[in-house]
Amino acid sequence: MFLQQVVNGLTLGSTYAVIALGYTLIFGVLNIVNMAHGEIFMIGAFVGLMLVTKFNVSIFVALAGAMVVGAALGYLLERIALRPLRRREVSHLAPLISTIGVSIFLESLALKIFGPQAQSFPPLYSGQLFEIGTLKISLIQIIILAISFGLMLTLRFWLDKTKLGKSIRATAENIETAGLLGIDTRKVIVLTVMLASGLGAVAGVLVGLAFNAVEPTMGISMGFKGLAVLILGGLGNVTGAMIGGLILGIAEVFSVAYGSSSYREAVAFGLIIFLLFLRPQGLFGSQASQGGR
Amino acid sequence: MIKMKNAIRKWTATTLAIMFTVAVAGCGGSQSAAPGNSAGGAAKIGVVSFLSGGGAAYGEAIRQGLELARDEINAKGKTKLELVFEDSKGEKNEAINATNKLIHKDNVLAIIGPTLSGEMFAAGPIASQAGVSIMGTSTTAEGITDIGDYVFRNSLPESLALPNVVKKAKDKFSLKKVAVMYSNNNDFTVSGFKTFEQAIKDNGLETVTVETFADKDTDFSAQLTKIAALKPDAIIISALYQEAALILKKAREIGITIPIIGNNGFNSPQLIKLAGSASEGAVVASPWFPGKDDEKVKNFVAAFKAKYNKEPDQFSAQAYDAMYIMASAIEKAGTTTDRKKLRDSLATVKDFQGVTGKFAFDAKRNPAMDVTILVVKDGKFTELK
Amino acid sequence: MEDLLNPYYLQIVMFMMINAMLGISIYLTLSTGQLSLGNAGFMSVGAYTSALLTLKVGLPLVLAIPVGGIAACLIAAVIGIPTTRLQGIYLAIATLGFGEVVRVVILNMKITNGALGLSGIPSLSALIGNRLSAMGLGQGAMGLTLQQISNITVIILLACIVVFLVFFSLRLRSSRIGRAFAAIKADEHAAEVSGVNTVYYKLMAFFLGAFVAGIAGGLAAHLTFYIGPKDFSYHRAVEILLFAVFGGSNVVWGPLLGSVILTSLPEILRSVAEYREMIYGAILVIMMIFRPQGLISEETIRFWRSKLTGSSAQAEKSEPARRPAG
Repeated sequence: MFLQQVVNGLTLGSTYAVIALGYTLIFGVLNIVNMAHGEIFMIGAFVGLMLVTKFNVSIFVALAGAMVVGAALGYLLERIALRPLRRREVSHLAPLISTIGVSIFLESLALKIFGPQAQSFPPLYSGQLFEIGTLKISLIQIIILAISFGLMLTLRFWLDKTKLGKSIRATAENIETAGLLGIDTRKVIVLTVMLASGLGAVAGVLVGLAFNAVEPTMGISMGFKGLAVLILGGLGNVTGAMIGGLILGIAEVFSVAYGSSSYREAVAFGLIIFLLFLRPQGLFGSQASQGGR
Repeated sequence: MIKMKNAIRKWTATTLAIMFTVAVAGCGGSQSAAPGNSAGGAAKIGVVSFLSGGGAAYGEAIRQGLELARDEINAKGKTKLELVFEDSKGEKNEAINATNKLIHKDNVLAIIGPTLSGEMFAAGPIASQAGVSIMGTSTTAEGITDIGDYVFRNSLPESLALPNVVKKAKDKFSLKKVAVMYSNNNDFTVSGFKTFEQAIKDNGLETVTVETFADKDTDFSAQLTKIAALKPDAIIISALYQEAALILKKAREIGITIPIIGNNGFNSPQLIKLAGSASEGAVVASPWFPGKDDEKVKNFVAAFKAKYNKEPDQFSAQAYDAMYIMASAIEKAGTTTDRKKLRDSLATVKDFQGVTGKFAFDAKRNPAMDVTILVVKDGKFTELK
Repeated sequence: MEDLLNPYYLQIVMFMMINAMLGISIYLTLSTGQLSLGNAGFMSVGAYTSALLTLKVGLPLVLAIPVGGIAACLIAAVIGIPTTRLQGIYLAIATLGFGEVVRVVILNMKITNGALGLSGIPSLSALIGNRLSAMGLGQGAMGLTLQQISNITVIILLACIVVFLVFFSLRLRSSRIGRAFAAIKADEHAAEVSGVNTVYYKLMAFFLGAFVAGIAGGLAAHLTFYIGPKDFSYHRAVEILLFAVFGGSNVVWGPLLGSVILTSLPEILRSVAEYREMIYGAILVIMMIFRPQGLISEETIRFWRSKLTGSSAQAEKSEPARRPAG
């Protein structure tokens, strides 16, 4: 059972990691937590679902479609809810509150449009089981692991090597200096939000596939877990988000396997509260990120 | 500083003065007005239901059952019913406000609902104190009718159905040890679990583990992997249909083939739709059996399908019956405005034939009903013999 | 003429009072620039503690409710102490998480009865009614029933508590502590550098907020006969936030106005009940963009005060050459 639970934990954790990536990218560049990220994730899942059920496209087209819609939503979010706040002198809480508003709005909008019932992807992708010794992995789990890890590695590479990626990192480091160096920070910000939201939407499709349920309130609990990973891995730290996500997934699954399944939801935040006592900058964050900014 | 203190004192004094003036000058008529007659002498029945928000599917199903019944009853012409719906969003404070509004502003004769037991615990005392009958169609927690003499319910408390199914399953599948799963953030499923727990003990079965999850959960791999490793003879689950379907799917996916026994929450065509082939063989006890060879049931299912384009689940079925029960009580009481008479008439309902079978209120205004044990076979609920 | 003293309206006023207290609890923590998203969690701690004390132990309400508040404070220490050292965002997320942890714990403890909640909680109104009966008012007086009189008494009681909180907040604001709060809110680093013990004051504000939320929770539990974990969800925490953000987050009158409007609005707008959450979300976004300080700000108060109490006396007290802003 142990190995099986590890696989379960990694699968779950990789979805958490992809969601956390979105949070951490936006935090790094804008220094705010986008509370609406969970809802973008949820809408991505619905878009993927609609594409597959209504238009009969393959799952990869659905993923791409969700990414596009997610990015578009991110653009709207930045334009409507975040940019106006940068122009005036507002407290650092204003963007947080604003994104909370967006998340509530999107959640109820989705409830109105899609209804409260859970819907699932057609069973084309489920059911196939691979056996490796005593380990049972489903095709879906393999797809999810592959895509999540693929995304994470691509993102890492992109941030490290490409020009745009580097300008994102520069802006995240220090926005004024980046501006002085000739980086169009506004464009970078918009692109980062769009990228993060696109990733979130893709995560939505993956989770919808993995657990076979897409419904409007899925954004809230996933969003919470993403926040937990954000702190676990260190605010603004991409590697931290990835590894933190996996750790959280495994921790949750193990708490069910060897402890009591009733406290599963509390594991995520129990971990953070515990971490805040010991190492508030997260597992990978640096000391500076705590006091600065 | 002193000026501010004075300002505050002034404000407080003024506010209190205003309130006392209003109180003193308040209109003398202080009892809640008797229910008014709406045009044509229709009986006004208020409905508090979970119509928007996460659990709206259940509130909607209830609404559909009620409206279908109302239309049929009004068409027959003997009793005229008017329904006033209020959304409680599954929130206690909303349910309280909705109940108050229905009683004191809309002057309804009686109330059907609310959807959740928690809401009923808050709204029931209010209705009972105001002398308005309130009938739950989906409230299954223990102690609901102890709230007051005006509190009724026709939702089958799981304490009647579940012991039956456990016994039958034990006999049929020769069970010795079982694993239990239930959703622990929902009063409906928690009550179901408590009943299962007792039934398991009474039948001398061993529980290898109890696993929990929450409503809207989607990942059950951890719990199911743990259960599979312990090798029970069956899994007993108390869940709503959405989670139940996901559990069924995951269980079959990871190779669990043992029988799965469910509570009332399983009893919905949505379960079969969502779980697909994984739902085969699931066993559940319920008063609602859509495939029953009964005229009333067949007509109801056909009419429901025609109106709403989907099959009725047990929430709709129990709401439908509730409307008919209310109508027959109104008819027997011979009044559309006397709340006390209606209450007394409701309490004496016996030998009522509904789509959920024979029904009567017992001495504590709980339902006394028959139960059928069902199993999913070939994509449909059939009786387990 | 419609019966204004309808239990329907009276109940709404009671809810308004409780919401006002909750709004003030957020305001207190916000006055140091900290956002607490866990006040629904503190409210639940206060509610369950006091309800269990009155139900199981039979403690009189007068004692049970403050004990609930203190319990909320103790729990607040668990997250408060580590996070007040850090940036505000940590507190926001930690309190959010805390709210969830509390919810899960309540769902699983035997004593709280899990999802089934606690029912049959003695109602404040009934207790007062019994007292009044004993005093001979069993049949009512002044043309009102016993029930109406007890409800009105409850409202007055709640109003007194709200007035006390307002008074307290105003005095706090102009005290040394209040000035420290304002300094921290304006610029935490500057305050720290100029010698203000930021951690101490931030923690104090946090405890105050938790205590008030706990008291509000205890009172609320005794108004509605029943409490369950669903009553203290994330949505409730956001709703509480909305009272302060909408009404005005800089002055204590803001949450009052916010709670009055936002408690009565759903009743007035019953027809659009389905869209309520959407409207709330939109309000949050729009407020942040166009009027982040909320409806009532300090300027608004200065403006109205100068209008009401005569401009000359006030102008000398307040800063010179200030044009009243609308």
